[in-house]
Amino acid sequence: MSYRRRESPLHAAGALAGCAYCLALAAAALVLSSPLMLGAVALAVLAAAAAAGVWPELRRAALWAVPFALLIMLINALVVRDGLTVIVRLGQLPLLGYTDITLEATVYGAVLGLRAVTLILCGALYTTAVDPDQVLRLFRRVSFRSALTATIATRMVPVLIRDSRRFAEAQRCRPGAPPSRLALMRAASAGVLDRALDIAAALEVRGYGAARRPPRAREPLSRHGLAFLGSAATILVLGIVTRVAELAPFRAYPALHAPLGAATPIVAGALVACALLPFVDRRGVQG
Amino acid sequence: MLARIRIALAAAVVAAGASGCGLGPGPGTADVTLTVTRDFGSGQVATITRSKVPGSETVMRMLERSLRVRTRYGGGFVESIDGFSGTADRRDWFYYVNGIEAPVGAASTVVHRGDRIWWDLHDWSATESIPAVVGSFPEPFVHGIGGRRLPTTLECADDVARACSQVTNALDADGVPVASQQLGTGSGSDSLGVVVGTWADVRDELVASLIQRGPSLSGVYARFAGPGELQLLDPRGRVVRALTAGAGLIAATAHYSSEPIWLITGTDPTGVLAAARALTPARLRDHFALAVSGSSDMPLPLDGAT
Repeated sequence: MSYRRRESPLHAAGALAGCAYCLALAAAALVLSSPLMLGAVALAVLAAAAAAGVWPELRRAALWAVPFALLIMLINALVVRDGLTVIVRLGQLPLLGYTDITLEATVYGAVLGLRAVTLILCGALYTTAVDPDQVLRLFRRVSFRSALTATIATRMVPVLIRDSRRFAEAQRCRPGAPPSRLALMRAASAGVLDRALDIAAALEVRGYGAARRPPRAREPLSRHGLAFLGSAATILVLGIVTRVAELAPFRAYPALHAPLGAATPIVAGALVACALLPFVDRRGVQG
Repeated sequence: MLARIRIALAAAVVAAGASGCGLGPGPGTADVTLTVTRDFGSGQVATITRSKVPGSETVMRMLERSLRVRTRYGGGFVESIDGFSGTADRRDWFYYVNGIEAPVGAASTVVHRGDRIWWDLHDWSATESIPAVVGSFPEPFVHGIGGRRLPTTLECADDVARACSQVTNALDADGVPVASQQLGTGSGSDSLGVVVGTWADVRDELVASLIQRGPSLSGVYARFAGPGELQLLDPRGRVVRALTAGAGLIAATAHYSSEPIWLITGTDPTGVLAAARALTPARLRDHFALAVSGSSDMPLPLDGAT
């Protein structure tokens, strides 16, 4: 999973708008607790990915994230003692002691899992739809080295994936059983430090260490950039207002409390609409 | 192979059922009382009696079902009840079931028929543990510990026959048969002990030696300075009052995880008789321990201003 320029409004929006858009969606996922609202944020991210042409990458990220979410749900249900509605009695368990699984702990675990999936999807959308070089240019006036480190760090993952593929191809040429994924992962991660040193050496040779703070360069925002910045601001405000005004109330403990008033579906629909509206204008998105 | 798997699965299901596992909350229980107080029972917060209690009810679940509760550490530790919260200066919520400090957290303590659950917000600077309290009388004698009623042994000194008879009658009135035995025999494990005698008579008993070593070991905020003086302590363990002739004490304590022992004692036989007469649910209600002098009751620990 890495950035590749595609013909989509999000790719055409620029790094500033792309970063703000992904951050606003992630902030909404962190601020909101109602399952309906979290589902709306996740739906918005997936729909945005489809509209930006990065659906296969996000689908892959979601497939990786769902077992992780299930694990969070399971751990929460087993460890948390809160909740009044017992659904499974497990009695005395080693290490855990007296354990009852409650509906409330299970639902809250599912909410935490959904939040984790949504945040992973936001990260995946950022990785696939925001140009890391533009991000570097964006932040190099603030802190050149930090921006460089962050950009390289996000690029290390695709580099390691390519390394793994090369290792796999090389090992397939050898006789005997094909190597396990674990062996490949070990080989790739063992080379992380070497790869980092390679990159550092290359940067030094190219004079990155002697870089000075670049002069201010104002780049005008495109029509798409403005649309995504507006969308990000609206999503953020909507999330904060929903939280502060309790438009989508949700409480898991001690008993589930999630009254579905008229406001909750309206706000959820508004959030999805806000997130997708910038994709309507597809003029001038050709790369 | 398939048959073996089926047998293993059937065995697992049977084992799970036998160990209390299952779907849903399971069968409920009845007649449980929940009392919430602060400052060693001196301030009442709530008293709730439930004639029917749902299955798999734990002390924490019953509390959360009845009152506004805030918890920490994954629901294992009570932070506040009905807005009353613990503070950083060693003041927290503690709970007792049938007058006995539970060895595990409230989320792991299952509620049984007839249990008296008592939550109290108090200063624990003098002791982190108060193994037993008398304020749930006639518990633990009637419904026992963990849903299991235990036999009660009564040890009386020779010079307090009237007090001994008073204690026997008080326990009889609540349907608790007692087995009388020689002073110094000890109640043994799996039984509740009641020791009656003047301080001079009982000072060599285990329960007396625990009390004499102060609240940090016994959880009882009183001690004797010789056989003729009963010192009453405040929540910080400081002596705030001394009683002499005619003073009595009802207290309960336990040695580590053994069953609690009740001590009904006094500076002299008059004091012991006064303490024995206080062995009623009304006079002991919500007190950690009780000192008596004549007809006046002094719940312990004693407020420093008293």
